[in-house]
Amino acid sequence: MTTMQPTPTPRLATVHAGAADAGARTMIEIENLDFFYGASQALKDISIRFPERQVTGMIGPSGCGKSTLLRVLNRMYDLYPGQRATGKVMLDGENIIGPQVDASRLRSRVGMVFQKPTPFPMSIEANIAFGVKLHERLSRADMADRVEDALRRVALWDEVKDRLRANATGLSGGQQQRLCIARTIATRPEVILLDEPTSALDPISTARIEELLDELKRDFTIAIVTHNLQQAARCADQVAFFFMGELVEVDSAGAIFTAPKQKRTQDYITGRFG
Amino acid sequence: MASQAVPAAQPFGALSRAAPDIGLERRRRIGNLVATVLAGVATLIVLAALASILWTLLSLGIGGLSLHTLATVTGPAGSNGGLLNPIIGSLIQVGLATLIGTPIGMMAGIYLAEFGGASPLANAVRFVSDMLLSAPSILVGLFVYLLLVAPFHHFSGFAGVAALAILVIPIVVRTTEDMLRLVPVAMREAAAALGAPRWRVVVQVCLRAARKGLLTGVLLAIARIAGETAPLLFTSLGNLNWSLSLNESMASLPVTIYQYAGSPSDDWVQLAWTAALLITAGVLFINIVARIGLRGQDRS
Amino acid sequence: MSDTPRHIVSSYEQELNQLRALMARMGGLVENQTALAIQAILERNTESAQAAMEQDPEVDALEREVEARAIKLLALRAPLAQDLREIVSALKVTSDLERIGDYATNVAKRSMRLGPTTSDISLGGLRSMGRLVQESLRLAIDALGQNDKEKALDVWRSDKAVDEIYTAMFRELVTYMMEDPRNIGACTHLLFIAKNLERIGDHATNIAERVHYSVTGEMLPASRPRGGQPNVEAPVP
Repeated sequence: MTTMQPTPTPRLATVHAGAADAGARTMIEIENLDFFYGASQALKDISIRFPERQVTGMIGPSGCGKSTLLRVLNRMYDLYPGQRATGKVMLDGENIIGPQVDASRLRSRVGMVFQKPTPFPMSIEANIAFGVKLHERLSRADMADRVEDALRRVALWDEVKDRLRANATGLSGGQQQRLCIARTIATRPEVILLDEPTSALDPISTARIEELLDELKRDFTIAIVTHNLQQAARCADQVAFFFMGELVEVDSAGAIFTAPKQKRTQDYITGRFG
Repeated sequence: MASQAVPAAQPFGALSRAAPDIGLERRRRIGNLVATVLAGVATLIVLAALASILWTLLSLGIGGLSLHTLATVTGPAGSNGGLLNPIIGSLIQVGLATLIGTPIGMMAGIYLAEFGGASPLANAVRFVSDMLLSAPSILVGLFVYLLLVAPFHHFSGFAGVAALAILVIPIVVRTTEDMLRLVPVAMREAAAALGAPRWRVVVQVCLRAARKGLLTGVLLAIARIAGETAPLLFTSLGNLNWSLSLNESMASLPVTIYQYAGSPSDDWVQLAWTAALLITAGVLFINIVARIGLRGQDRS
Repeated sequence: MSDTPRHIVSSYEQELNQLRALMARMGGLVENQTALAIQAILERNTESAQAAMEQDPEVDALEREVEARAIKLLALRAPLAQDLREIVSALKVTSDLERIGDYATNVAKRSMRLGPTTSDISLGGLRSMGRLVQESLRLAIDALGQNDKEKALDVWRSDKAVDEIYTAMFRELVTYMMEDPRNIGACTHLLFIAKNLERIGDHATNIAERVHYSVTGEMLPASRPRGGQPNVEAPVP
């Protein structure tokens, strides 16, 4: 006689737990966002949420709209006539693309770091103070503390503490980029946007920036656009794949890179785009 | 881990390559040689011209160069006069013209680069400014004559300053616009991304980033007006007597050269050469300073 | 995967295809080896046993080859998604196949040592077990070659039947041994053979699970349908 165990039906367990940690508070929630450069539509009906203190990676081919979305989040598009956004981009219950929002104040809450390091042609210290002075009046001592704090957080303090008054353009590319991140966090934003921050850097500088992101996400919500899939895999908690202005798929990094649900995502990340 | 079964990659040598064409290579070498020789000869011609000008000026001008010449007012032929009043007159007129022309030119340049874009007004300003840049300077003199000399029935240093300032403006407009356009968009965006309003971005970031280029532009403008004669003939006229009044006609080096060079008096001709040497040395000095400034311009 | 477009980098595509070809070859070889081994016992065919044993070195070499290529692909191509799953699955499947090859060799060896004294012992259980295991293995290798998740699920479900026959055979052989101690030698060999076939079935199921993951990105649950367990675990040869 054989002892029979009840046959379990093949319940299909998934390796991943859906999109990014559902427990995290939502920092930014985008609903039905459309974006236009003049007559051409660059973003089509985007809905996505950015969980607080997590890294959201945005990937996709050039011109897919990922950078455009980043530039909506701090209203960078305001600088250029003919660009407009419609829909809802909620930051703390406020629709930041609404007309009543002050772009300058918004940008103190949502900082941005660019592809090429952009140190201003002034001293290291002045670079960091530049942004702070726009929004706060600090005493000399407080400003010095703020500068030191920002430089320490990007692990640049020890490298530059003896030459704070030297011109920032004399730093190496990787140092310049960390300075730019320091400049951004010195204004104490809630969100940091990074637009391909390491594409101009060597692998070691890149690793430093990636390590920094891990540190920074304890305090900031981070959105990073990258063309480097491995970088998205290494840094991001949640990954969004954009294609031709559409958000194709958003899921945890583990799910996107091992088992994406959409064929277009799969084809893109495996290098099968025809 | 190596596995023997992996087929060896085809070496590049397997690609067939056409036998070298000797004739083609020879023609290429000859073409290269001809071009090099032509370029070398052209360079020599320019250098020879420059050297001969400098040599002529030095050999003929150095004789009159003395403390006496620099410190003595011009006098009648044969009176052992100097060049003090033209030197001071040139310094005053060029200095004031630069002080007046530079801010106006820079502001117009900032408008063109940062705010005007491709608007009709900006295009009009750009067009007019470029016209002015290439307009004969004597027309500028004539214009100021009609505006500031004829109505008052006398020549004046003011009019000279005005004419030179008008020549400064288009040069500064062009260099300011060009230099500001060289400031990377990313830097403007980075400043804006920190919450900086537009004017702060322009003044604190863009102008700073372009400052060496702007300085170079101003120096070039000075070099240009320092040697101008035509616009001054109609405006400050020249003055053989000592005068610092801008309301009277005023001496200047170029006009002095113009008046003295054709004179039958040997000492005046000598002074004309010396004045020419002084202008050339001054302009050369400014040019060298400008070039060093350019070399120091940050590449970004 | 006929609906999948090709890689932009064709050398990558080529390397993946080479890996797939190696896997197919190894699968075919192991399937054949298992069939020979089963034939060797059921028909007392020494030639089949010999043939099964002679294939083993080639199977082992193929495993090393697949492993080397898979590691190279992982290192040099940084595969993602479907490619990553396929390559990682290949790594695991190749060791499953190699184990199956070892078990088949072991079965073939024991068939030669069985001797002629077993005529009075029924081989019916072994026959149906061999059929089932071969069928599972064939399905699993088909699923692997065609990336067919339905076939993979069929294999995964059918393992239960193999387990049940094994448990029944275990009891039967123990009974033979108790009836006549002279049967003990042959029955012990048969017991090990049955255990080996049961293990081949397990590895076929593993392969099916890998294929399912490779195709769908979803892991099958850890507990698969099992038949009865003998209360005495036979030592793994």
